[in-house]
Amino acid sequence: MRDVLHVARAQLVTALRERITLFWFLIFPVFVLGLLGLIFTNVGKTQDLTFEISVVNLDRGTVGGNFGANVVETFRELARPGTPGETALFRLHEPGTEEVQTYLVGEIRALRIGKREAVVVIPEDFSESLYAAAGPSSAGAASALVTVHTSGGRTSSDMALGIIEQVIARVDREILAKLGLFDTARVVAVEQLQVGSESKSFSYVDFLVPGVMVMGFFVAGLFSVPGTILFGRERQILRAYWMTPLNVPRFLSGFSLGHVALCALQFVCVWLLGRFAFGAHVNLFQPLAILYLLLAMVTFLALGFLVAALARTPNAGMAIANIINMPLMFLGGLFFPTGSMPPALRAIMLVDPVTYIADGLRASVGVSPAAFGRGVSLGVPCAWIIGCAAVAVFRLKWDVER
Amino acid sequence: MEPVLMKVSNLVKRYGDVHAVDGVSFSVPRAEVVTLLGPNGAGKTTTLEILEGIREADSGEIEVFGQRMRRIDRATKERIGVLLQEGNFEPYLRVREVLALFASFFRTARSPAEMLKAVALEEKANAFVKTLSGGQKQRLAIGVALINDPELVFLDEPTTGLDPQARHNIWSIVSNLTAAGKTIILTTHYMEEAETLSQTVCIMDHGKVIAQGSPRDLTARLGQETIVEFAAPDDAELPSSLPGDCEVARGEDGFVTVKTTDLPSALARLLDWSRASGVALAEMAVRQPNLEDVFLSLTGRRLRT
Repeated sequence: MRDVLHVARAQLVTALRERITLFWFLIFPVFVLGLLGLIFTNVGKTQDLTFEISVVNLDRGTVGGNFGANVVETFRELARPGTPGETALFRLHEPGTEEVQTYLVGEIRALRIGKREAVVVIPEDFSESLYAAAGPSSAGAASALVTVHTSGGRTSSDMALGIIEQVIARVDREILAKLGLFDTARVVAVEQLQVGSESKSFSYVDFLVPGVMVMGFFVAGLFSVPGTILFGRERQILRAYWMTPLNVPRFLSGFSLGHVALCALQFVCVWLLGRFAFGAHVNLFQPLAILYLLLAMVTFLALGFLVAALARTPNAGMAIANIINMPLMFLGGLFFPTGSMPPALRAIMLVDPVTYIADGLRASVGVSPAAFGRGVSLGVPCAWIIGCAAVAVFRLKWDVER
Repeated sequence: MEPVLMKVSNLVKRYGDVHAVDGVSFSVPRAEVVTLLGPNGAGKTTTLEILEGIREADSGEIEVFGQRMRRIDRATKERIGVLLQEGNFEPYLRVREVLALFASFFRTARSPAEMLKAVALEEKANAFVKTLSGGQKQRLAIGVALINDPELVFLDEPTTGLDPQARHNIWSIVSNLTAAGKTIILTTHYMEEAETLSQTVCIMDHGKVIAQGSPRDLTARLGQETIVEFAAPDDAELPSSLPGDCEVARGEDGFVTVKTTDLPSALARLLDWSRASGVALAEMAVRQPNLEDVFLSLTGRRLRT
């Protein structure tokens, strides 16, 4: 065991002392998180405040009229600038020709990734409920509900909610006046639903943090593993090991342990940045999330061994890693949802282990619903591990060609 | 304790039509330095790599520590130390860390501090490998080869590419090992190294051992000759009026070599010839025969060509 621990330690300290490795292991993920976090979380925003609001009117109306349309019209008014050149309070998004439910799903996704501040949904029975609440036999009837989806943890979204509540209050009074009633009781209430599961409030940073962690593990596995093995083989660093009682399985154990330790360090750095610089509060310290994180480390470690097995020289290894890197990383949904991807790219996405790990990890912490069943999101990466390991066993050379 | 630590019999290694090692046989007695001496491409390193377990022989027998084996096993690796010809270490590890790392691979090992002292690298204990000079790297490599206190040490061209000072430092370490009773198999193409360090020299050429014995025995085969060397222009006629026992030869390096058993007569005749022909006896040296001369007499070529 002593030899395994020493190899692990050597692997760890070497990576931390080498500037290029250090950059890819720690600085790059932190940089990506910082960059995307700044772009999509309104930090440092100085321009005029305009809220991106979506309003979806599902109201069927009643014989007395469609009061949902009154609400929509009020938002439309606020979306028009008062004077030319002035910035409107809202930029309003409404359904076009597409099916309303599809539109709504798309808007909720846009809200989740920070492209909307709020999504207002007027339900089908809005007018009916309103009549019931404000009409002559209103005793004991509940208020009509307008649902407002917001992105919890995002300041701009919270601000939008406050303004929407004021708008609804105004609509409330207008409707009461229209019905010939005094403003003696509030008949329209607001129910707030935050995006995410289990009533937790998640932001884009919460979506991003697991993605950046998986990206870090991916880059580390894909570049560092073949780099260490191929350079070690070419410079005969590995041969010096084989002159001792150390064998390949024990070296591999130590190497993998060192790699996992490095990934753990990377995890801590990204988590600290996400938590304290961007206010992420996604809980990754739970068994299923840890399982997916470990699966990510092992899968990309295996992918690194595959690259090392396919390449004869370090340069060839880096070239192969670069070819694999871009499509697998960017089509795996690490930074953006993949739902709207063209069919050709979806094909790559569906064989990409990153897709399943990112999906499973995010679902396990509740920042997004699972697109795949748990068996699939665990099984596909495991299949990759087995496949890569099989190729490595038969093809990977641990010493220079003789 | 086995009197002979390693016995190699009729070792053969071919690459296509090329016989890299062609029936090599020798023995390595305990507490001796056995050197494989020969020019580049003679088969020294291939032979050593077969013995270290890096390559596999096509045929032949290897007996190590009294046991015949096809490949070096784990138990044997605990008892040997290897200095590779082009071995390397992680550039971002410190010297002390490298020694500690390799020490962890063995059941019993010497402490890094002890090895740092043995190879005179105490001042560089905390230096990164990448900052070491060629000689320091080689001393570290020797330290690594000795970390398990091995009974049998393989040193593959330990001083190639080093400056004279660094080379003498390595010789000093090897001499200390010999004094400590270690058994060493060494390869080199430096004649002085083989003469200085070895009890037994196996001269190799074209994959074969063409002569073996102690440096003294090998040079004695040339008889009681003394050698006179001098530089002469290529177009100068060689002296013809020397005593009858003299052998005269012109080397590819422009030097003329005269072997004689009657030095006073030979020198007198050479001076006469120089005056008569007008050829100056430039860079003239008189010396006893060495392994270079043995190689020359066996192959007709110089060792360093």
